[in-house]
Amino acid sequence: MAFPGKMNWAARPAWSATLRYGLAVASVVVAFGLASALVHFHIPQTFGAFALTAIALTFWYAGTKPGILAALLSSVVRDFLFDPGTSTESRLLFDLVFLVFALLMMQLVRGRNQLELRVAERTVELTRLNDDLKREIAEHNRVEAELRLSEAYLAEAQRLSHTGSWAWSPPPGDIRYWSEECYRVQGFDPKEGQPPYEVFFQTIHPDDQARVAEVIDRAVREKKDFKFDYRIVHLGGEIREAQSVGHPVLGPSGDLVEYVGTIIDVTERKQAEKERERLREAQADLAHASRMTTMGELTASLAHEVNQPITAAVNGASTCVRWLTRDNPDLEEAREAAAGAIRNAKRAADIINRIRSILKKGESKRQLADVNELIREMIALLRSETNRYSISVRTELDADLPRIMADPVQVQQVVMNLIMNGIDAMKDLNRLREIVIRSQRTENQQLMISISDTGVGLPPQQKDKIFDAFFTTKSQGIGMGLRISRSIVESHGGRLWAADNLPHGACLSFTLPIPAEA
Amino acid sequence: MSTHSESKFVSIVDDDDSVRGTLQELLRSAGFCSRAFESAEAFLGSGNQRETACLITDIRMPGMSGLELQARLNAEHCRIPTIFITAHGDEEMRFKALREGAVEFLPKPFDDEVLIESVRAALER
Repeated sequence: MAFPGKMNWAARPAWSATLRYGLAVASVVVAFGLASALVHFHIPQTFGAFALTAIALTFWYAGTKPGILAALLSSVVRDFLFDPGTSTESRLLFDLVFLVFALLMMQLVRGRNQLELRVAERTVELTRLNDDLKREIAEHNRVEAELRLSEAYLAEAQRLSHTGSWAWSPPPGDIRYWSEECYRVQGFDPKEGQPPYEVFFQTIHPDDQARVAEVIDRAVREKKDFKFDYRIVHLGGEIREAQSVGHPVLGPSGDLVEYVGTIIDVTERKQAEKERERLREAQADLAHASRMTTMGELTASLAHEVNQPITAAVNGASTCVRWLTRDNPDLEEAREAAAGAIRNAKRAADIINRIRSILKKGESKRQLADVNELIREMIALLRSETNRYSISVRTELDADLPRIMADPVQVQQVVMNLIMNGIDAMKDLNRLREIVIRSQRTENQQLMISISDTGVGLPPQQKDKIFDAFFTTKSQGIGMGLRISRSIVESHGGRLWAADNLPHGACLSFTLPIPAEA
Repeated sequence: MSTHSESKFVSIVDDDDSVRGTLQELLRSAGFCSRAFESAEAFLGSGNQRETACLITDIRMPGMSGLELQARLNAEHCRIPTIFITAHGDEEMRFKALREGAVEFLPKPFDDEVLIESVRAALER
């Protein structure tokens, strides 16, 4: 606490010089007046007492110099006004008394002033200490409030993320700290207090206990981190999926002090993962079914495409036989013809393999893929189909494209669907029928592949409808091709969209992200 | 083995490089001269129609088809004995081709003896 009452006393306001010297004169005049009055009432010789009082008052309130003035004035007043007829000895005696008194008062006032100064200094110091203390208290309160708030936030975050934190001293030690969320995740009542380690362990699913114990034992033995998934059996019999991680805290000499860590309820996350997995499988199944359908529609063209190299191989073999069975066999010609037959038979096998890989049902596999190569293969496979409708296929492929991570079969499926759409849009039209396939690198680190045709174009006012399931403008087909293509592209992190091609037709484009290091 | 004059040659029209090339080799082994074209348009543009003694053509090709080529030649009164080779010819197509004057209609892959005999017959007309 401060000392407000004494503050004025300690820091007495300075009087002006006029006031201080005025007090000297006035007090002596008053002393003279009072003494004269007493003389009038025949009580003689009291000026000395009044003068001493005046000197004392002046010294006390007005300071040393006005005090000396009061002493001199008193001496003069006594000698020349109050008692002019007194003897020299008496005068000297009184002067001496005033002088000694003045000296005493000087000492007294000096002492008082020093004391006042010390008190003032001490007061300032105390005030400062007091202010510091108040600041400290305020700071402490603020930190405490922040800490409480931070604890509340942490508890809320733990609740939201189903993450509890704990500290545990290794076997056979007890659980030292067990956050509120730990109780919830593990299925304990906070009112019953921190559970002993054995009780906690008993809530682990019986099938998981041995594995968990082994993981913990090994980690403790090696003073290493641990992490394990386990199931918790709650009191009502409900089974929850959880994950725990622990980190050892070592003492200065490397001895194990305790483990700190978390337990997380991952039931919902695992559930969502399973759902996602099921969805991926369903999407892969659908994509596969769609590929089967498209390839089924292409049977005649694919057969033709396989037939070409087989024809060439048969031609080669026939030629070989002819060179050998001539009257004068030509072995060199026969060898070359046979080599050609082998080459073409292999080409036929390649095409069959390509068809088989597209028809094969398998989980989606991502690998480094050359998009231009995938496009070229698909153009080759569909050549008979485009020939059938006298459609020319032109490519503008950027030769400098980086390879990307993708499922090659699914990317080919998208290219196939888009080319097939182009063919369908043009086959009944009587004008230039051309499909142009472009590949390029975009500014934002993506590959863009676009396939444009000179066909009937997009249905007006419903450009984006073409991506809806079961939307179709064709007499055949179920309208799944573009829908599936879009879901394939999006599952690869890309985008598929449609635009008008000028002056006729449509342009379907899709992007695929380039891996960061490419 | 019979020999033929340089002015009499067989023209082959097929868009597939390997079929075209191996067919030329086959004819060479039988002692025939041939020229190959990758499309009906290329053949028509070459000006070789009049000197061609026998035409072997695929049916399904980008651009003009084999049957369209036959019709065009007929319209120009340029009657070349024509052998069609096709990977997917049906009876209707075969009938149409033969009606328009084709000498043979062979499914791919074909027997070399049949082809050679047809070519020989065409050249000896």
